[in-house]
Amino acid sequence: MNAPRKIDCQEAAERLYEYLDGELTPDSEAEVRAHLDDCAPCFKLLGFEDAYLSFLRARTRAHQAPEHLKKKIFEQVLFDQDSAS
Amino acid sequence: MAAPADNRREAFEREALPLLDAVYRVALRLAGDEAQADDLVQETMLKAYRSWHQYKSGTNVRAWLLTILRHTFINEYRKKKRAGPTVDVGEIEGYHVFHEVQEADPEGNFFDQIVDDEVLRAIDSLPEEFRETLVLSDVEQLTYAEIAEVTGVPVGTVKSRLFRARQALQQKLYDYALEMGYIKRVER
Ligand SMILES: [Zn+2]
Repeated sequence: MNAPRKIDCQEAAERLYEYLDGELTPDSEAEVRAHLDDCAPCFKLLGFEDAYLSFLRARTRAHQAPEHLKKKIFEQVLFDQDSAS
Repeated sequence: MAAPADNRREAFEREALPLLDAVYRVALRLAGDEAQADDLVQETMLKAYRSWHQYKSGTNVRAWLLTILRHTFINEYRKKKRAGPTVDVGEIEGYHVFHEVQEADPEGNFFDQIVDDEVLRAIDSLPEEFRETLVLSDVEQLTYAEIAEVTGVPVGTVKSRLFRARQALQQKLYDYALEMGYIKRVER
């Protein structure tokens, strides 16, 4: 396998979220990873943004549809007369 | 043999209903209040049920439901304007918060002190297209391609909206943390 193409801090920063989101192609991901392995400031930025995204997920996923709504949907949607085929 | 209506009911219960919480969370962030979110979800699920024959089994039911939700919201609910201030996402300097805190708190520990309601309030202050992109990604974990499908824009637009939304939200939460004394501003 060839060594990944060298990228600079700016390119790494531009692709950081895509890297964290798992949205890069394997080649592009390897380039970012190689840069992060070598570059302490970018690695530090990665840790910070990763912590931020984890925090966002943790703070926003607790909400569930209320029981009264679930009940209404069971009663009104699933037994909807207008959609009787 | 079961009637077609029963097959549909069964398929809908199995495939669509487990996503009710996800649909509700997105509805709540789009509509901005619980009563409207309730109506929006109910209407979305009813439309989905009535057009279930258009859904191709085995494809992405979550993206399909969220697309119906979004259309319903835009066509019928958005007219009722939301109140409240909107965060400016126009001038986003990349990773500004990190540059401010990298000496004092490089691991972002100050985030841990910010409670759920405050985060949701901050999300609600984002302009709509940025808010929906962020919610679909960071709350519901959709891929960029799925977000592009639901919001009807190219993947490149999803990427840039997500970057700006995350950075604007981070700045807002940082400002809040400063105000609350969770973190001290670094003098330079
Ligand atoms: Zn670097």
